[in-house]
Amino acid sequence: MSETTRESDPRRLAADARDRVHFEEDALALSDQIYRVARHLVGSREEAEDLMQETYARAFRSWRSFTPGTNLRAWLLRILTNLNIDRGRRLQRTPDQQPLEEGDYFLYNKLEETSGGASDEDRVVQRLSQNDVVDALSEVPHDFRDVVVLVDIGDFTYADAAQILDIPVGTVMSRLHRGRRILKKAMADSAVGSER
Amino acid sequence: MSNCEDCEQWMQPYMDRVLTDAERRDAEVHLDECSYCRKRYRFEAHLRQFVRQAVVEPMPVELKQRLASLRTPLQ
Repeated sequence: MSETTRESDPRRLAADARDRVHFEEDALALSDQIYRVARHLVGSREEAEDLMQETYARAFRSWRSFTPGTNLRAWLLRILTNLNIDRGRRLQRTPDQQPLEEGDYFLYNKLEETSGGASDEDRVVQRLSQNDVVDALSEVPHDFRDVVVLVDIGDFTYADAAQILDIPVGTVMSRLHRGRRILKKAMADSAVGSER
Repeated sequence: MSNCEDCEQWMQPYMDRVLTDAERRDAEVHLDECSYCRKRYRFEAHLRQFVRQAVVEPMPVELKQRLASLRTPLQ
């Protein structure tokens, strides 16, 4: 059967339209989850909204390149991160002179030491405000933040994050390790910085 | 066998469940014995949850509508 005949076959066209509708519905059903990640890959809500619209416009145009049965959420985020890179939104700020990261216990030790010692783990977490977390996350340099956002907020596996960002799994692991430490150092500065 | 410094190194991979069986057993033995690290482990577990919840910003309703309007019109 030639390409032209197949394309113009009414049954084929109907099936194609049905697949496209399903694809679009599935993609839209994931939009909350995609936005949750997108919002923290860029600096502002406006940027996140632009990026979401560009991502969905492109996804709807190129829906045929999605393989049914594979991870649609990861596929959409792959488009989104590529667009984000293309649009040059990843200009790095000059790194601060002070050390960006500390050990894994740094944040706990800092919070405990400034809450009079006699506190349990729950109380110590409560010393952090929502703003401490949001501000600290926005301070993590892009390369590290992308990985932390995908794995710790988007719930992606190391392998998915590697595929989305087109980097090796080993790089995901090392950036995640450093990214979490940078985030915790920034949270510590934000939460207890004024008390030093 | 392990000490608090090792435990600090293992904490995140342990929580991500990517340690080997032997490493995980070592980490658990240490966590059982050491209240200093156990406290910090519980804190880390709470912290992850807290971070996930703290950064959630609901998607604006208008954006949802704009995305839906990008759909291919039905023939």
